[in-house]
Amino acid sequence: MHEAASPLSRTPAVSARSRVLPLLLVATPVLLALWLVIWPAAEAVILTFLVPGEGGTEVWSTANYARFFGDSYSVNNFTNTLWTTAVTTTILLVIGLPLAIYLRFAKGQLPATVQSLVMFPMFVPSIIVAYAFIRTLGPNGTVDIFLHAVGLPRMRTPYLTPWGPVIGLVWDGLPLTVLLLLSGLGNVTRPAVDAARDVGAGWLAILVYIILPRMRSSLLVTLSFNVLGIFSSFTLPYLLGPAAPEMMGPFMQRTFGDLQDVGMARTQAVITFAVCLLFGALYVWSIAKGRTKSAAGGKS
Amino acid sequence: MARLDLDLLGKSFGDTTAVAGVSLNVGDGELVSLLGPSGSGKSTVLRMIGGFERPSSGRVLIDGVDVTHVPPERRPTGMVFQSHALWSHMTVFGNVSFGLRLRRVPREEIAKRVEATLELVGLAGYGERLPNQLSGGQQQRVALARSLVLEPKILLLDEPFASLDQHLRERLRDEVRDIQKRLGITALFVTHGQDEALALADRIVVMRDGRIEQVGQPGDIYAAPRTAFVAGFIGAMNMLEGAITDGRILAGGLHLAAAGSGPAHLAIRPEDIEITDSGEDGHVTVRRMIDFGSHVVIDSSLADGSHLRLQTTKGVRVGEGERLGVRVRHYMVFAEALRDPIRYRGAGVDMLPNMELNYA
Repeated sequence: MHEAASPLSRTPAVSARSRVLPLLLVATPVLLALWLVIWPAAEAVILTFLVPGEGGTEVWSTANYARFFGDSYSVNNFTNTLWTTAVTTTILLVIGLPLAIYLRFAKGQLPATVQSLVMFPMFVPSIIVAYAFIRTLGPNGTVDIFLHAVGLPRMRTPYLTPWGPVIGLVWDGLPLTVLLLLSGLGNVTRPAVDAARDVGAGWLAILVYIILPRMRSSLLVTLSFNVLGIFSSFTLPYLLGPAAPEMMGPFMQRTFGDLQDVGMARTQAVITFAVCLLFGALYVWSIAKGRTKSAAGGKS
Repeated sequence: MARLDLDLLGKSFGDTTAVAGVSLNVGDGELVSLLGPSGSGKSTVLRMIGGFERPSSGRVLIDGVDVTHVPPERRPTGMVFQSHALWSHMTVFGNVSFGLRLRRVPREEIAKRVEATLELVGLAGYGERLPNQLSGGQQQRVALARSLVLEPKILLLDEPFASLDQHLRERLRDEVRDIQKRLGITALFVTHGQDEALALADRIVVMRDGRIEQVGQPGDIYAAPRTAFVAGFIGAMNMLEGAITDGRILAGGLHLAAAGSGPAHLAIRPEDIEITDSGEDGHVTVRRMIDFGSHVVIDSSLADGSHLRLQTTKGVRVGEGERLGVRVRHYMVFAEALRDPIRYRGAGVDMLPNMELNYA
């Protein structure tokens, strides 16, 4: 007697394949990451705790970290990097959020134009941005020449001050910030906003009680991405920032390349990595939380 | 309780006119349904009343006060949205109490009012649940409670049951009607479902292309549609194209008395056609019989191939291809094309009782 195979009878095989296939698909990038990132990173972390001992041996020690945190110049650079990251991220969110909200809810031709303008910096390489900034706001730049021409006092240029990298990084990071926030705002429907207005909410109440809670994950992702990018940035701080204090990116490069102090450069890299790891973990946590929520049928 | 007056309300989006000079008066405690096909402008009218769209022209008056330029958060209206529009990060209590919290109502009073409103909509004890833990019907009740708790003067319902299944929709619309009657609240209800409008409304406003085609009580609109569009849109209707010559309309092979001349539409409701007998000399040929239990609908063909739908009492059995003799109890004649205004009204002209069908 012929019996058709029940779909259920194939379920275990299908589910086993469906479990293995995604793992195989991610195997290559994971192995590459292990080889090129995880292993060198782990090795670097270990090596920072190994210092030369007596008789050419190596001993476990926290001397490298003691040296870093005992050196006021290094600490100033670290603090300056934290400050630049915090200020730039804050400015990006303060500018990016209203822009994203406007682009999400405004109708007509103007929002499309605004969006194109917001996205424009994405297509300009950092080095070009840096030189454009120098030519515009730097000493004897366009603004300076204009002020001089109209008889006004010369401006104090932000170039080569801690604000130089901030301005450059804000310009550079705005498109990604707005894109990430816009994707988060996709969770906020127009009827949800209309319903809030209908019960009496003004724009501030809508922002605080309706919009922000519904884009918590997106805000965390935006925050993480910006901190990761800014904290470890090199080009803009190198070209626009002051010589001292400097950001960790140029500081590491100089320690490694000019001073050829590999051990200290490695320690700086591990400290930078540790800070980025915190925000990386925040990003992974927010993504995992979002996935769990959607798997449970919840709406964010 | 409140009066609502729309005075030549209009709305254009660029070159497209969504609403063109709509005027309407809604009395205290009245439930008026805005009925029309997609794109007829009914939701835009509702959104203009709620303040979510700024009118291009005209005025909205609530209790005689011009609120045309008042933002939604300051209007004495409450809106229930098609998509429920619940805030999924808040509990049911949070959703319903949000408006009261914004108004800084004392906490004890908020609890009391929310509890009472949830009980009114049949959701007592659901306060701590999240919206995604509720069924579609329960979510819509929360949306209703969210509006009602603020005691709006005008309740606006924008196709609130569109996403629900038929059974739930019928149950909820009865409940909404009961609540509206109990509270005596003035309400506007947008729908594209004629059954919903006929079952719920004190008056129906039939809209088409941004204009009002007809306003009236459900029974009146059903019995005496003013235009061919309304006739075709409300209830089942056989619309047969034809022409009037020499005091008679010839349409679909039928030949009936009618005044006027020129192209016209003959409109006959399925229940206004009575089966007289069956046999080879019958007027129509049966194509299909659908037994709905409570009544029977017969799809038939006329001599020229036009379709004619008949509705008769339960228990009637006819076979495919069978020929039936019929008699028309009432019919209407609309002159010219569907878009044009009706030319002939009145029992003596377009609603002739007990007319035998005659063939040309």
